[in-house]
Amino acid sequence: MFDLPAVMALAMSRSAHAGDRQALIAVNIANADTPGYVPRDLAPFDPDALAGPEAAMRATRPGHILAPGGIAPAAAARPMPDERAPNGNAVSLEAQMAKAAEVRRGHDLAMAVYSASAGILRGVIGR
Amino acid sequence: MGDLSDALAVSASGMAAQAARIRHVAENVANADTPGYRRKLVSFETEGQAAGMAGMAGMAGAGGAVAGAVRPGPVRLDDAPLARIFDPGHPLADETGYYDGSNIDLVVEIADAREANRGYEANLKLFDQTRQMQQGLIELIRR
Repeated sequence: MFDLPAVMALAMSRSAHAGDRQALIAVNIANADTPGYVPRDLAPFDPDALAGPEAAMRATRPGHILAPGGIAPAAAARPMPDERAPNGNAVSLEAQMAKAAEVRRGHDLAMAVYSASAGILRGVIGR
Repeated sequence: MGDLSDALAVSASGMAAQAARIRHVAENVANADTPGYRRKLVSFETEGQAAGMAGMAGMAGAGGAVAGAVRPGPVRLDDAPLARIFDPGHPLADETGYYDGSNIDLVVEIADAREANRGYEANLKLFDQTRQMQQGLIELIRR
């Protein structure tokens, strides 16, 4: 039977991750004034964890060709110090909006990869 | 797709809660000169957490709301002392010439309205972004 090309499966899981993260950000922003609420976030998308260890990029040393773990990406920044409003709420609207922009970018990227791959497949069958 | 639909519902609940808040601000401002009026306060609660407190509200919260959605809690009255206003000619004035005004501070009310506005706009922006993401997924099928 026909298997989905790996690149399309990867794009799909990237887009699913973006959807999950968007749902969490929506909860954080909706609760920006709920007393005692602490925001939550997902771990960054990690394709190596999906594909197994052999899919990871080979590098001679840490930092070579920006291997994962070499240079910490901006998304893996340390958690913010526990800065709370007087009512115990720890949501920063600005930080959440920045995360939403990141999610949007990841989602658009996944969709672009998916539709380009679909275009290639369509080309193969001559349409 | 299910997550995006949940995100839409949660953002909508956030807008509804901020709208309820700004309605109370409007009531407070309108009654700033009503003798004896006490400021109305509203606090927010998360659906799902508060369902446990409400007891028999069920798993999905009252009205089948999505977990994580927000809703305005019960309205409370501010028990700060009422302003004593000196006006011997006023029909409510006692023998010393004072009567009880409201305990509304207009500056506090305006600050609250600004904060509600900011929260509402953040929810609206996220709602729009989620809608566009969902639309993008549908466009993939259409081609």
